[in-house]
Parts: sequence; structure tokens; C-alpha cells
Amino acid sequence: MAEDTPAEVPSETEQLAAVADPKKPTIDIKVYAPFKVYYEGVGYSLSAVNETGPFDVLPKHHNFLCMLVPCDLKIQTLEGEKIIKISRALMHVKANRVVVFVDV
Amino acid sequence: MRRPLEIKAEEAAARSVVSLTSALESISSMQIAKTKNKVLISNQFFEEVWNIYKQIRVDVLFNYGRTVNQTPIEKELLILITAKGGLSGDIDNRLIRKFMEHYNENKNDVLVIGHHGTTKLKQAHVDYKYYFDLPEHDYINVDPLMEIIKKYAKSRIFYQNYISLSQQEIIEVDLSEVVSSKGRTADLSTIGDDMVSEKTYIFEPSSYAVAAYLENSILRLTISQFIYDSRLAQVASRFKAMSAAKERSISNAAGLHTEYNRAKRNQVDTRLKESMSGLKKLRAGGAQ
Repeated sequence: MAEDTPAEVPSETEQLAAVADPKKPTIDIKVYAPFKVYYEGVGYSLSAVNETGPFDVLPKHHNFLCMLVPCDLKIQTLEGEKIIKISRALMHVKANRVVVFVDV
Repeated sequence: MRRPLEIKAEEAAARSVVSLTSALESISSMQIAKTKNKVLISNQFFEEVWNIYKQIRVDVLFNYGRTVNQTPIEKELLILITAKGGLSGDIDNRLIRKFMEHYNENKNDVLVIGHHGTTKLKQAHVDYKYYFDLPEHDYINVDPLMEIIKKYAKSRIFYQNYISLSQQEIIEVDLSEVVSSKGRTADLSTIGDDMVSEKTYIFEPSSYAVAAYLENSILRLTISQFIYDSRLAQVASRFKAMSAAKERSISNAAGLHTEYNRAKRNQVDTRLKESMSGLKKLRAGGAQ
């Protein structure tokens, strides 16, 4: 007797990613402070500034840990560009996921 | 026996206290729900930063982000997190009692957060060196506090911790010990593939700069977390105090109401007795 296994339902963001551009790679992004989530979802890239200068984080980026200087954080989301102004933050990139800890 | 009108006025005052304490109880209840939710959200953030810190930490000793050249003050800084004002139950008294067990005028400098703490310290004849208002907003800027902490060789913090609605405890911790103990779990064998090192990560500007920054961040987050915990414990303590005050004022108002009825009855009885004796006298006079 064959077992009925429930079909895996893609999440809303995964569905959106497939609709937007199925071939374009994406990265999971979360930008948050202790009491506020500025952005959480998938995106094509994230641009920020650290002591060395401006830089971009693209999908499949190498593990990365850095301090950000006050700047405009630009996220290329599936719906368009989103800009978040930050004063002090820490960025952590690992396993195709980037987390920006704001106000730490 | 007191006059019924006097008792009636006192009962009205007691009923006002019931209304007032009920309102304060409701406000505290709402504040608890709001603060508790915020503490839970912030804990997730703190945990994630802690996890990175654990993986990157090399030095077990925590030095408050001081450089080697800076000589700290050889005194222990005692930090007290207290309520903004009164009406917070007995929680600040308990905190001051615990603080007094540890306090030594020659060995300690005192830093108070929250105005109620300064009042309590004055009552206990203890001088404090630094004072900060208890922050009300979500974002807490602890940088001025950190500048003071960095000057001292050791810092101990006394804060209030929420256990449940009816139970709050006073905790005293050595600030460097609490940060180091979390760092100590960064045992290489427990980290495994998660280890953050120069082999597996790119650091900018450098691994040492990032580690130093994280050390400061962790201290900042630890202090913020203690302040959030204290705020939650304080509103819970206020709720408890207001509930007890409401119960007492309800019982007091009920007692006064009974007393009023007795006094009123007594007044009627006295009048009745006077009327009866008058009537008797009138009747006796008429018979003559």
C-alpha cells in the first residue's frame, strides 16, 4: 500500500521568487533591531557601506562578518528597491542568508 | 459612635480608592502584556547576536572593550536598576536590601538608574556617584553608561527579574562574569562547523576589530536586556501591589458601609427611644 505523503507547499516568498524571475538567484535577507524588523524576505542583492567602502552582497556570497558605518542600506527585493537608513549595524552572511543587526 | 454622615463620606473616599486602584491595575495589566511581548521579540535578536559572539570569541576574559593601556579604577561599580517612581510595590525595597548586603563605602561606587532608587538610597544614607533616568522608549542608548563601566575594574549589577505575574526576583550579577560565562560555552568541540574563524569567514575591517566591536555590542545588549527585564518586573510588581490595594480598599469600603448602616440604625433607634420616652411622659402628664 502506497503511503500518502503531503506535497511540499512552497512558501509565499518562494512563490513570489519563482514568479518574479525563476532563473535569477536570490538570497534570504533579514534586517532587524531588537524591537523592529525592517525587512525579512528574499532579494537579489544588498548594498551597504563599511570602513573599507561601499560593497554588495549577492546570492551565494562567502561567509562574511563586518561592521557597517552609517549609510543607506539598499535591498533589491522582488518588488523593487528598498532603502533602510542605518546608523550602527553588524552584518552576518552565511549559507545564502544575510542578517543585518541594527543598533548593536 | 461616629455620625453616619462622617462614615458615609469616608466610604465615598474608599470607593474612590477602589476606582483608582482598579484603573492602575488595568493600566499595569496592559503594560505587562505590551512589555512582555517586546521582551520576547528582543530575546530572539539577543540570542542570534550571542550565537555569533560565542563562535567568534577567543579570549575568555572579558575586558569591557578596554585597551591594554587603559588602567581601570580599582573599585567595584554597583549598578542599581530601579523604577521611575513610586507605586511599584516592594520590589525596589527588596533591591535596596540586597544592595546593602554587598555595599561597602570604601570599596564601591554607586550608579543608579531610575529616580525611585535615588530616593531609597537617600533614606538608607547612601551616596550615589552617577544617576540616569530609567529609559521609557524601546530604543535604549546605553553608551553613556558603558563609558562609566569601562572606567572600573569590576562592575556588579542589581536588577529585577520577571518570573510570573505574582513573582519577581532580585538578581545581582558580576557584569564581566555574565558575559564571560556565555563566551565560555564557545568550547571548540561544541562549535563544530559553526566556528567563525579567518579560515571560514571574511572579516572587515579585520577579525580583531570585529571581535572587539562584538564585545562592546554584547555588553551593550546585556545591559539593555537587564533594563528590559527590570521594566517588566516593575510593571508586574505594580500590578500585584495595585491588586492588593484594590482588594484592601474593597474590604475597607464594605466595612465602612456596614458601620454606616449600624450608625444609621443606631441613630433611628435613639430617636425612636427619645420619641417613646417623650410619648410616655406626655401620657403620664395627661393621666394626671
